[in-house]
Amino acid sequence: MHGMINKSIEDLVTIQFGADKWEAVKKKAGVTETAFVSNQSYPDAMTYGLVGAATEVLGLTADQVLYAFGEFWVTHTAFKGYGDMLMSAGRTIGEFLDYLPLFHTRVALIFPNLKPPRFECSDRHENGITLHYFSDRPGLSMVVVGMLNGISKLYKTPAVVTHTKFKDKGADHDEFLVNWGAADQK
Amino acid sequence: MTDSAPMLDHGQFSKLFPFHFIVDADMRVIDTGSVLARVCPKIVPGALINDHFLLFRLASEPIKAFNRDFIARQENTLFVFKSTSTDLMLRCQVLILRDPERYLFLGSPWVRNPTELKALHLVLQDFALHDSTVDLLQLVQATSTSLHDAKQLSEKLEQRVADRTAELSMANAELSRVMRSKDDFLSAMSHELRTPLNAILGLSESLAEGVYGDMNTKQVKSINTIAESGHHLLALINDLLDIAKIGAGKMELELTKANVEDLCQASLRFVMEQAQKQKINLKLVMDNQSVMLTADERRLKQILVNLLSNAVKFTPNGGSVTLETKCDLESESLMFSVRDTGIGIATEDLKRLFSPFTQLDSKLSRQYAGTGLGLTLVMKLVELHGGSVAVESEIGKGSCFTVRIPCKGLDTLNQHNPSGTISLTEITPAETLPSNTPLILVADDNEINLMTVTDYLRANKLRVIQARDGLEAVKMVREHIPSLVLMDIQMPLMDGLDAIAHLRADDKHTDMPIIALTSRAMVGDRERCIAVGANDYLSKPVNMKQLVKTIRAHLPNDETL
Ligand code: HEM
Repeated sequence: MHGMINKSIEDLVTIQFGADKWEAVKKKAGVTETAFVSNQSYPDAMTYGLVGAATEVLGLTADQVLYAFGEFWVTHTAFKGYGDMLMSAGRTIGEFLDYLPLFHTRVALIFPNLKPPRFECSDRHENGITLHYFSDRPGLSMVVVGMLNGISKLYKTPAVVTHTKFKDKGADHDEFLVNWGAADQK
Repeated sequence: MTDSAPMLDHGQFSKLFPFHFIVDADMRVIDTGSVLARVCPKIVPGALINDHFLLFRLASEPIKAFNRDFIARQENTLFVFKSTSTDLMLRCQVLILRDPERYLFLGSPWVRNPTELKALHLVLQDFALHDSTVDLLQLVQATSTSLHDAKQLSEKLEQRVADRTAELSMANAELSRVMRSKDDFLSAMSHELRTPLNAILGLSESLAEGVYGDMNTKQVKSINTIAESGHHLLALINDLLDIAKIGAGKMELELTKANVEDLCQASLRFVMEQAQKQKINLKLVMDNQSVMLTADERRLKQILVNLLSNAVKFTPNGGSVTLETKCDLESESLMFSVRDTGIGIATEDLKRLFSPFTQLDSKLSRQYAGTGLGLTLVMKLVELHGGSVAVESEIGKGSCFTVRIPCKGLDTLNQHNPSGTISLTEITPAETLPSNTPLILVADDNEINLMTVTDYLRANKLRVIQARDGLEAVKMVREHIPSLVLMDIQMPLMDGLDAIAHLRADDKHTDMPIIALTSRAMVGDRERCIAVGANDYLSKPVNMKQLVKTIRAHLPNDETL
């Protein structure tokens, strides 16, 4: 996995729980890297190992860690590195989500050795969109939910994310319904 | 050709080229792309393009008044326009259309990072998908994030290296502090232990010599026992200090060329008295009498004396102890063997032999006094010389300790020399000292030492005045101008080193002999004493005879005669 992902887990644990907790997570996961570098590819097992260790050290469930990581990635990590890019992807949350599939298309162009996920959009209407998430990696759908919530915060547009199809329950990909109209009316 | 070219309506064309614009021969705008129209709302049909765009040329002033001729000449170059009202820069290719004459500029904004994009109020959707600008922006972004991470990593590593270095130097400082305090402790201990011993040995020597009047035989015997025990204790302290010094890496060999026969004779002289008492036959056998050896003479003597006194100690009355030397040309080394006809050592005990405080039989240790440190010290001193020690032994028959000391260039020295058993030279008797009355200043803060030395010197017909600290010593010298000063180093108010320096700073006392007296046996003390101006140095406890001898050696001739 791209170094940015591991780095983001590092920042999340360090900022929200403290540097000593991060050292504990690293130790538990058997990771000896001093720091991660984006654009560098690390084994997926390392990322899964870090998430697993984080659940133990922080006393959270895997879903909680993945969700927190997803949201943190958008609001902190990506925002630091790709903030202008993220905010340039659309003037509204709708425009952003329309554009989302392109990000990973470009990731695949820029880093041909990576296996970024693929997103597709459908059923776009004024207050919502259906997002299709395709990935070879198992168990990361909670990251998407966290990320979508982060995006909603970034665009200051409350949104409801509903996970409607589950790959781990037999569907051929995950599907999310993102609805910001309902929240807008509150 | 025309047939196969697709016909696009205005909307389609604008989707592909959202930043395009078309001007007529007079440079008036005919049409603009949808995004350009939004970003530069003043560029409307009929407007003069020169009013809104400067033609940008690298390394020269922007061209304001570009016209159709200019454009026609530059058809195959890249046009870069800069907006006069915003920061927008457009990189374009021009296409000249005929009938009617029009100029079509196709291009997109020149942005080098997403921040510039934001400043221009552009979003990613404003770019046509075929335009690779956004891909490049994402690439730039990825690269700069990566660079940032790499920088962070190298900072972290640098910090880590700095932390480790700091830790290490702290540990080092701590270590050398500990080492220093260990040395200080050793030095202080040697002072503490030797000062009272000085008094014991000095006073018993004085008593035995009748300085305090005659004594009966019983008293003399007791006094001799006290002196013997004192000397034994001194040997123990010296061994301990030496082992500690070697352990602290403080033992430095003073290598000189030494005559091996002299060395052997001197070593044997040490044990001669004891051997005679036990009726032990002492022998020296050399295969080459004129061989020279580069070694620390004092330490080598220490090695031999240690082995010899052990041999004498463990050899019953009437036995023999032989010191044998052999040149081994092959290994370029000199072998010293000490062979006795003593009690011998069991094979299983040989291994434990060289570890400190091992005496093989506690019964024996009572019968034959020994420190248990001797062999350890021998081993360490030999190792310091780069040599080795071997031992052969048989219970009841005796032991043979062989010390091998490397000796380069042995063959060239190996002249034709008779080998054989050499008779031992007699110990030189102590010379009779002339009785004159020079004035000696004794400076020492320890009353017993002061008394012992004073008594002894007076008994040797020397006049003595006393000082109990460095300040007093300086004062006394100025008042009495003694023939010689005996200066203790560790004293209150002003120590001996300072006192010597004070005296030497005065022109009147530059030639006055000063002998430093100190219990500190650490390396460097001698140098320090000499450096501040002492003529000589004696380590406490001082052998009284030695003291007098040294004093005599430094007194001007006219006074000693
Ligand atoms: C600037 C925008 C983005 C960039 C440059 C980006 C880039 C990347 C990269 C480089 C990876 C690692 C791929 C690999 O190592 O194989 C990744 C993974 C991922 N991204 Fe993004 N991403 C962006 C936005 C998003 C957004 C907005 C979402 C979700 C709503 C998202 C969801 C994910 C997920 C779930 C993964 C985990 C890997 C997987 O599922 O296989 N990304 N992204």
